[in-house]
Amino acid sequence: MQTQVLPNFVKVKRKISPAHIVLKTTAILGLALLCVIFLFPVLWMIVSSLKTQDQIYAQLSSWRTFLPATWNVGKWFVAYKNLFDSFDYFGRSILNSVIYCSITILGVLLLNSFAGYALARLEFPGSRVIGTIVLLLIIVPVETSIVPLYVILKNLGLLTKELRVVGYLIPNFVSAFYIFMFRQFFIGMPKELEEAARIDGSGRLSTYFRIIMPLSKAIFATVAIFTFMGAWNEYVFAQLMFSKPEQQPLQVFLQLVNSFNPKDLSMVMAALTFSTIPIAIVYIFCQRYIIEGVSFSGLK
Amino acid sequence: MEKAKKTKSIYYKFLGKTYIKTDSVVGAAFILPAVVLGAIFVIAPMVVSLSYAFTDANLLKLNEVGWAGLRQFKKAFTDRFMWNAFKNTMIFVVKVVPLQLLAALGLALILNTKIRGNTFFRWAFFCPVMLSLAVTSFLWMNLLNPEEGLINALLKVFHIPPQPFLESPKQAMNVIVVISAWQGAGYQMLIFLSGLKNIPPELYEAAGVDGAGSGTKFFRITLPSILPTFSFVLVTMLIGAFRLMTQPMIMTQGGPTDSTMTMSYYIYQQGIKYRDVGYSSAIALLYTLFMSTVALTLRKVTDQKD
Repeated sequence: MQTQVLPNFVKVKRKISPAHIVLKTTAILGLALLCVIFLFPVLWMIVSSLKTQDQIYAQLSSWRTFLPATWNVGKWFVAYKNLFDSFDYFGRSILNSVIYCSITILGVLLLNSFAGYALARLEFPGSRVIGTIVLLLIIVPVETSIVPLYVILKNLGLLTKELRVVGYLIPNFVSAFYIFMFRQFFIGMPKELEEAARIDGSGRLSTYFRIIMPLSKAIFATVAIFTFMGAWNEYVFAQLMFSKPEQQPLQVFLQLVNSFNPKDLSMVMAALTFSTIPIAIVYIFCQRYIIEGVSFSGLK
Repeated sequence: MEKAKKTKSIYYKFLGKTYIKTDSVVGAAFILPAVVLGAIFVIAPMVVSLSYAFTDANLLKLNEVGWAGLRQFKKAFTDRFMWNAFKNTMIFVVKVVPLQLLAALGLALILNTKIRGNTFFRWAFFCPVMLSLAVTSFLWMNLLNPEEGLINALLKVFHIPPQPFLESPKQAMNVIVVISAWQGAGYQMLIFLSGLKNIPPELYEAAGVDGAGSGTKFFRITLPSILPTFSFVLVTMLIGAFRLMTQPMIMTQGGPTDSTMTMSYYIYQQGIKYRDVGYSSAIALLYTLFMSTVALTLRKVTDQKD
């Protein structure tokens, strides 16, 4: 009870002060202005994707540039339809992105969770050394230039047209940071759970799949979400690996849409908006895991 | 008899340490895939980069690599294009880090109070984070188009003459600074907010009872409490800024007149475009040494303050 009385008292005292009201109003006005600065480019991108190029240019100097040209929703998605009609591989690039992301998420989750568990719970010759290497890789910022990776892929023969996809995907499977994240999570789990399972005769392997994994949904979801965002947004490595449009993921395909002659600004904005939708959905529906991941990285 | 034998052989010794057999087998199996792929795609590139720095390796003739000694490093120190890229990157870092850091911290401090529309504001500031670097770059490229872009149209409304933006060697890097801060600040705001939430409210209550004003509370409670978060954000932001590449690659290709050429981009170009893997590796090595020194020094300095 006492703790409740105290804040109420403080609040009541504050509400009376006129200086406080002025301060609060200024803060809200300032925030609103900042809000406009942060939001207007995104708003314009979305709204312009719902117009024709002529409408965009005609309304550029008017406040109407931030509103749809028509409220007839049926006419909004012309540019989106045009994207599929004008670019043979636009649909394909979406499919490519989905496939690349799915495989990457699967590989990342499997490999790094196994490694994290081994480092957290199992002692074997070399486990300490590997743990130290993982930590070092996180702490020391190596200029991870793509050039040497490209050289290695070339030597492994993974730059042929067919194997390029493999060469693009596999290097992203292991991440020192995700191994560390899994390790920290598993260390934090009560050991008694596993010990109880093992006394019941369950082996290490089945303990992992039956006890550990179901209890670690949160960390798996967090890593999956961050991996998805990284894989979906990858640009530099993807544009180096895929020069053929039929292999390109969406982010690289944007280059083709943007540099296409004659340029159609509404199609460009439609492509940009479209490629952002999956990320926005993930942010909106998986907030909890994202906050968890963010606070984890913040606490490190 | 059988059973006794089995329990006895559960343990084994290796280099004077005792391990459990099954743990070793399962552990090795669990970590093997990560170790193999990590060795090939994380460690090997570092080794390749390190060793190629002393050779004249060419991307097209990787079979005939000749020893170059320290020649590549000598070349680096007299390469004015490299120094230009280094200077540009430092200018970017010095401008973007304070801007983005203060924006993120300021927004987090305001949103940490019980202000009306808190959730809406949080989403608004976070909105640009949802755009990828590629989308951000393509979007702003079009917004900043000198002839038919939205920004110059808006400036016209306020009677400001049209600006060349990305087409001017003087403005291009500043534009990239602002765009990068705009895109990224919301993310660090979230990290600061979660740091601020971890401060126990009792601290403020106790200080309030003792008659501390809001200024005292801020400098004596808030700032010291989020100092670890602050140093973490500072170091990660700094390393991220050192690696700037996607934005200039898409928007300016390093131009106009090399004014947005950055170190990471230069290293990439030397290796991929000009196929000079040896030289690219040498600069990458020098740059890694530089970045590590800065990052580790900074970490030490901020850790001592705690």
